[in-house]
Amino acid sequence: MEVTMDPLFLAWSYFRRRRFQQCSDICSKILEDSPYDQAAWSLKTRALTEMVYIDEVEVDQEGIAEMMLDESSIAQVARPGTSLRLPGTSHGGGPTPAVRPMTQSGRPITGFVRPSTQSGRPGTMEQAIRTPRTASTARPVTSASGRFVRLGTASMLTNPEGPFIHLSRLNLSKYSQKPNLSKTLFEYIFHHENDVKNALDLAAQATEHAQFKDWWWKVQLGKCYYRLGLYRESEKQFRSALNHQEVVDTYLYLAKVYQRLDQPITALNLFKQGLDRFPGEVTLLTGIARIHEEMNNITSATEYYKDVLKQDNTHVEAIACIGSNHFYTDQPEIALRFYRRLLQMGVYNCQLYNNLGLCCFYAQQYDMTLSSFERALALVANDEEQADVWYNIGHVAVGIADLTLAYQCFKLSLAFNNDHAEAYNNLAVLELRKGRIEQSKAFLQTAASLAPHMYEPHFNLATLSEKIGDLQSSYIAAQKSEDAFPEHVDTQQLLKDLRQHFAVL
Amino acid sequence: MPEVKSIFREVLPKQGQLSMEDVPTLVLCKPKLLPLKSVTLEKLEKMQLEAQEAIKQQELASKQTQ
Repeated sequence: MEVTMDPLFLAWSYFRRRRFQQCSDICSKILEDSPYDQAAWSLKTRALTEMVYIDEVEVDQEGIAEMMLDESSIAQVARPGTSLRLPGTSHGGGPTPAVRPMTQSGRPITGFVRPSTQSGRPGTMEQAIRTPRTASTARPVTSASGRFVRLGTASMLTNPEGPFIHLSRLNLSKYSQKPNLSKTLFEYIFHHENDVKNALDLAAQATEHAQFKDWWWKVQLGKCYYRLGLYRESEKQFRSALNHQEVVDTYLYLAKVYQRLDQPITALNLFKQGLDRFPGEVTLLTGIARIHEEMNNITSATEYYKDVLKQDNTHVEAIACIGSNHFYTDQPEIALRFYRRLLQMGVYNCQLYNNLGLCCFYAQQYDMTLSSFERALALVANDEEQADVWYNIGHVAVGIADLTLAYQCFKLSLAFNNDHAEAYNNLAVLELRKGRIEQSKAFLQTAASLAPHMYEPHFNLATLSEKIGDLQSSYIAAQKSEDAFPEHVDTQQLLKDLRQHFAVL
Repeated sequence: MPEVKSIFREVLPKQGQLSMEDVPTLVLCKPKLLPLKSVTLEKLEKMQLEAQEAIKQQELASKQTQ
């Protein structure tokens, strides 16, 4: 006779090996035989949660509604250096837009994309709606209609028999009395079902049952309030949790609240407090570096990223950010070393090879350039990435003066992503070299309307219009260029010349 | 024509200032390093893709049964 393993033990083993589907299947079978088996039920909730678990600290998606109708920030017109929303105000010796491309919100592009920094904060409603998406995901109308809901419904769709737990039939107060079940149930409701209201109910009852002494429930309450947009309440819960027990996670959540309330200085102070308690904690250091980066203070951001690397020398985000900073401060060979380090660590994707290719080219290691780009092209996941890679190959082609190849590359880039403003601009420059003024002008106008935050198309349009004698359009475009990049010397020179012209008339 | 050569001789000043007119040229947009994606973002995108696939499959299946 064959001896079979105890199914619950097997399920546990699958869970530990992160084979959640098998674990959940076995638990379902156990539950069919004995529906009141609490161990199996709890294990299944945990397995289902783990399948869709994402780090809550990292997830932060602002919808259009939250962004435009935001009333939680204290000062609508903040003083320079105290807000995340006025990026251009504090130049900490970072590179100018003349060498480093900008994102929509006027921040230099970062070396690392996180869910919260995907496209920054556009200035107007119109801009918010028709933002060219940089990371292939559209911004939702509100965060309540965003990814969270889609993920929640998706997890239900894959289950033909309907959801595992019917939340509406659940007696939450009964479960909140049982500490060994309530925590897994809460995580299931919060992460798997994305039903924040029910999760909040459960957490509120459970924290009451624990006589308001359990820090874990307070943190969960804070998370629920945060998701519901009640930032002050969530701040209270996190603060109270910190009084009970100091945990790194709580510091991170609390800092997230302050960042949402647009109080970067408070968040920085909080991180420093956290660092006093947990010296050298990598996540806290990274948090500080991110805030400095968002406030356009690249130099100190880099300092903190270096501190991160002293603690954890395989930190991808820190390496990528330092690398990109070196690239844009004219040290491509050092940037190359950082990106090579990432490659050694096993990061293997299109973005990395693209960056390696660019660094190789500008560090004059021509043998590796094209093969890196070939690999990048082989690894692309979507059309936007492909467009970006072709755009960069176009730069290499301009660098070796193969203008036909450059022209084709930029055209390809536009074929993959019709909203690629940089490619339009560069194509316009090449068209003008061929003497096709009208075509060039059309490309520049397209680029300017697609990306009003870039100064290049405005400046080029101004120069072009001035050359063909259309001084009025030249002046308007030059003014836009000045708005986008006030320190640009050539724009100022052009404006001065134009004003002189007008004065003579 | 040796006379012409003697009239027009190139001038290469060894002393004094050298000046150059700065002509505004068109600027290219800069090369763009692509930001790497965080693990969380990659997982989110993967889950979203899988969910979309699952929905497609289910819709196909329901169409076929009709």
